[in-house]
Amino acid sequence: MERTLEEDAVAAEAALVARIGTGDRQALPLFSLAVRLVGDGGEAEELLQDAFVKIWRHAGRYDPRKSRPFTWAVTILRRGCIDALRRRRRHPAAAAWPEEEPAAPTADAAEAAAAGEDHDRLRRALASLPADARRALELALFSGLTQTEIAARLRQPLGTVKSWIRRGLLGLRTTLTDPTA
Amino acid sequence: MNPNREESACQYVLDQLEPAERAAFERQLLADPALAVLVHDLESALARGVGALPRRTPPAGLLDRIEGRLGTARPPGALGRVIARWGIAAAILLAVGLAGVWKGRGPAATGPYVLFAGLDPRQSTLARVPVAEAAPGPDARFVQLASLAQAYWDRPGEQPVKEGGAPGQGYAVFDPGTNQGFIAVRRIGAAPEGKRYHLWVIDTVSGRAREAGALPAAGDGGGLFFFSVAPNPGAKAEQLNFSVTAEDAAAVALAAPKGRVVLGATIF
Repeated sequence: MERTLEEDAVAAEAALVARIGTGDRQALPLFSLAVRLVGDGGEAEELLQDAFVKIWRHAGRYDPRKSRPFTWAVTILRRGCIDALRRRRRHPAAAAWPEEEPAAPTADAAEAAAAGEDHDRLRRALASLPADARRALELALFSGLTQTEIAARLRQPLGTVKSWIRRGLLGLRTTLTDPTA
Repeated sequence: MNPNREESACQYVLDQLEPAERAAFERQLLADPALAVLVHDLESALARGVGALPRRTPPAGLLDRIEGRLGTARPPGALGRVIARWGIAAAILLAVGLAGVWKGRGPAATGPYVLFAGLDPRQSTLARVPVAEAAPGPDARFVQLASLAQAYWDRPGEQPVKEGGAPGQGYAVFDPGTNQGFIAVRRIGAAPEGKRYHLWVIDTVSGRAREAGALPAAGDGGGLFFFSVAPNPGAKAEQLNFSVTAEDAAAVALAAPKGRVVLGATIF
């Protein structure tokens, strides 16, 4: 029987966690997310450490019925990074999802394949969006700007920007979670 | 779905809501399963997108530094010690919701299980704890064991066998399939001068004892510790028992326990 995307994700996550447990530094996509959001250097590491401490302290609040652990960890880290960006009002100039640079090879073939497939799906999903909508979504994901600020930056009505972001995110959901997409 | 609800869900996932709006939306989530599914899907999509990001190699020593932070950030009443190299995995998975994996899944008599041993200074009392099927391999089973061990530490009332009431109480969680487990020790006190505490897994039928390691010499001896032992193909799970003895600190390789039992089963 063909495995579903969800099954693949769970399998890749299990392999990932096992490798994290053995100290494989490459197996930390969360660090990549922090770098993507706040830029390279010590701040990304600091925010990643903060996120782990929050995960550790708030472990009792985690509800496995609502999300997988990695999703939960991503949510916590992303929120911390966005808060930091907003506090410091430091908006990266190039808040875009990388187009041509795929995930680096990893030691685990299944994980690498899953990451590569996700990258391809992601590119297709983003490519299907109008340029302005794609820019709005990228800013919402990576810049820490509020939607009002994004609207001002793109010189578009707030309602239009909200609609772009909604459609873009729903498109990502379909592309990345629906095995038939 | 109503576009307004979809938009709120997107804003929630993207952290675009003000605190009051966020709180209101979370209340709405509790009452609207379809909305909860949408949020789940959106967060999952974002997480998969993160997995597709170009990998950046973290700086050397990052894991050690995170483990160091975790070591000083334990929640009140949490573990005294956790095996260091698993600290980060613990932060993501072990400490969190894998309770949802083991709780109430599968019939105890036929499904996979691990052993729980309640320890007091005089005896070790065994119970079977059913666990989920979805734990292929020792790493995944480790996750389950650690989750169980921590859950029992945090919520002693949920233990299947009560710990002894006397000082020196504790418990062990052990997987006979992968021969690994955790031992939790409370208030055992420092080992006597020239002694160290050693943990043993005993086959009560053959009398064979497998040494699982020594508890850290420093501190009061309390905490939660990972252990593993060599396979013993002839031993049946229900014949196993656990014991902590005080052995000579100078002893290098112990083939069998010789010291006084301080916790758990009396060996011979």
